[in-house]
Amino acid sequence: MTNLQSTAYFLPELLITGFAVLIVLIDVFIGRAGRNRVIWTLSLTAVVVVGVALYVQPVPGEALFYGSLAADPFSRFFKWIFLLATAIIYFISPYTRQLKDTAQNEYYLFLLLVMLGMFLMASALDLIIIYLSIEIVSIGSFVLAGFLKSDRLSNESSLKYVIYGAFSSGIMLYGLTLLFGLAGSTSIFDVQEALANLPQGSELMALVALVMILVGFGYKISMVPFHFWTPDVYQGAPTTITAYLSVAPKAAGFALLLRVLGITFGADPSIPWEEWVPLTGLPFGVLIAVFAALTMTIGNVLAIQQDSVKRMLAYSSVAHAGYMLMAVTLMNAQALQAIMFYLAVYLFMNLGAFVVAIVVHNQFGYDDIDDWKGLGFKIPLIAVPMGIFLFGLTGLPPTAGFIGKVYLFAVLIAAKQFWWLAVVGVLNSVVSLYYYMRILKVMFMDGEPVDKTVSDHPAMTATVLALMVPVLLLGVYWSPLLELIRSSLRIFSPGL
Amino acid sequence: MTTALFYLFAALLIGSALFVVLNRNPMYSVVALVFGFANLAGIYFLLEAYFIGALQVLVYAGAIMVLFLFVVMLLDVKPDKPRRGLVHLDRWWFAILVVLFLGLLLGIVPGAVRLITSVPAGHEADIGNVERVGQALFTSYLLPFEVAALLLTVALIGTVFLAKRKI
Amino acid sequence: MVVPLHHIIAIASLLFSIGVLGVLFRRNAIIVFMSIEIMLNAVNLAFVAFSNYHGNVHGQVFVFFTMTLAAAEVAVGLAIIISLFRNLQTSDITEIHNLKN
Repeated sequence: MTNLQSTAYFLPELLITGFAVLIVLIDVFIGRAGRNRVIWTLSLTAVVVVGVALYVQPVPGEALFYGSLAADPFSRFFKWIFLLATAIIYFISPYTRQLKDTAQNEYYLFLLLVMLGMFLMASALDLIIIYLSIEIVSIGSFVLAGFLKSDRLSNESSLKYVIYGAFSSGIMLYGLTLLFGLAGSTSIFDVQEALANLPQGSELMALVALVMILVGFGYKISMVPFHFWTPDVYQGAPTTITAYLSVAPKAAGFALLLRVLGITFGADPSIPWEEWVPLTGLPFGVLIAVFAALTMTIGNVLAIQQDSVKRMLAYSSVAHAGYMLMAVTLMNAQALQAIMFYLAVYLFMNLGAFVVAIVVHNQFGYDDIDDWKGLGFKIPLIAVPMGIFLFGLTGLPPTAGFIGKVYLFAVLIAAKQFWWLAVVGVLNSVVSLYYYMRILKVMFMDGEPVDKTVSDHPAMTATVLALMVPVLLLGVYWSPLLELIRSSLRIFSPGL
Repeated sequence: MTTALFYLFAALLIGSALFVVLNRNPMYSVVALVFGFANLAGIYFLLEAYFIGALQVLVYAGAIMVLFLFVVMLLDVKPDKPRRGLVHLDRWWFAILVVLFLGLLLGIVPGAVRLITSVPAGHEADIGNVERVGQALFTSYLLPFEVAALLLTVALIGTVFLAKRKI
Repeated sequence: MVVPLHHIIAIASLLFSIGVLGVLFRRNAIIVFMSIEIMLNAVNLAFVAFSNYHGNVHGQVFVFFTMTLAAAEVAVGLAIIISLFRNLQTSDITEIHNLKN
């Protein structure tokens, strides 16, 4: 499709850009007083308007912008996740004590632009777009991580983020070069064709390229051993940003991982995703399985040793990337469905846990687990939902986390492959029980009952309760979400 | 002649890259890197990528390295003290992994490329022409071009925001 | 061009390795950023070489974008170093360990 025709299917992205420009301009024309409020309203409006545009947008029959982008239902599902995460973060930001006394205009602007980058990540079909979209998200996140610039922790976390980010994207870029060198074209479908026709004796090159690209994608989803930045950045960044980074860019990384690796390293793009197999001679499944096992185990083992709640949740988010990677080993339609389901559930559980952490910080200024002593009595309206979120993150019934994990394990079991990985996954869930329950124990078992309970701003309490609803509801009645995901499992391919 | 020039440029490039990484004074490193990038521009010219060669001199050796030089002088970065050793290793297992992988890379990729490119690909005329690059940029790569513009805006605002004490 | 493609790729790989080792082993943040620049330039060299071999401009267009991004990344990175330097008076990344437990 030509550039002009494509813009008709590109409305959400254009609207985001328009609103971003508007925010920059308003910043110039409105005085300091009340500016944060105006920009906050404008940003929330932007999310709603983009959501409407996304909802009414038709599905094009071909790729946009000369084969650079796909506006397929698959990308649309992920765009909903990004919108939802951004909306929640926008909503709670004014009530976050950490962000008081900061000029928030750049904060909202960068969140919007990062969302644009993630929109592009979810629909990229071209090596250049893959690289550019990852970089927009990265650079935006670098700035957001260093947002509290007079705070040394925030500064340091930002520097670490930049160094690891630039390093891993450099490595990924070399992998992209190799793919380009094979195909002579930047379209991932041409790359797939070239990889399928590699001459004898050069198959290892596909493996080298795969590993290098995995470095870049693995950095985004915080896969071991490219997770070093995660705990430091999660601890140093403002907590709202930590919550955002742990959900949205991770989902974007998975969107990219599933689409790009599925197409380029699949044996044949014309066979349906139900029967996906990797390129012949490429140990795709084994490689991912090793990464998945490492990611789960290291994430969980290190999470046990943490005393800071933010750091613990950071390592727990590493472990969750590992659970989802488990399904990537097979990459068939069932695996895609399980990962998308888990990402949706994870969005609510993880954001919920972080919003609770923000509330606790607002009220008491705590981050250390031992300081959470007796919170169940002091602030019950927040502590009880936290229990639900922790149950969900562990994967216990009746929460949605349990259903999500069941689907992930079912992928391995149905395929009758990688039994050992499923065993590692179950063992890891047991290990994770320990540190999640430690928070619960501290909140409810330690400490004395108090007479006077406190509560945070009603908006925060409402957010926590609103996030708790889907975690519980999807645990007993999840078929609507599953239906949505099934209908979203149409991934663009030029032959179809 | 071209061949000899290529290997000369390549040797100087590798040499200056090694110098950048191995010496203690950041100031020397910056200057060595500028020299290396100039050699790389020479290689681009030999590869008929004239537009990229010009950009290499203007953007890399010119703008980016001047920025580096500026920061080195602004912060008055002193050379590393000799007694502290040149290297730091806090994640040795990761370093070993990476070094092993680099060995794999150097061992496999050139050989595989040699195998794959034993058949010459089709060649279009004057690929280094600025006109051809420009045409591609404003037709099939228009979207990446606009996205890159946006990305520069992000970086610009971000840089101002981070480097300024108070806005 | 008479130089065989795999020689150019070998040089690019070597340059890339030097950059990676620089990032891994040097402690001065500015040198680390320069090493990342070396990595990106190795990538660019490979792109231009492949572009030359395939006889199309796609690789050169890619290099155009890599350069743009390299500039953006360096600008943000150096801004963070300056902001950090103001608080810490050092650009030695080994002194940045407040975040480790």
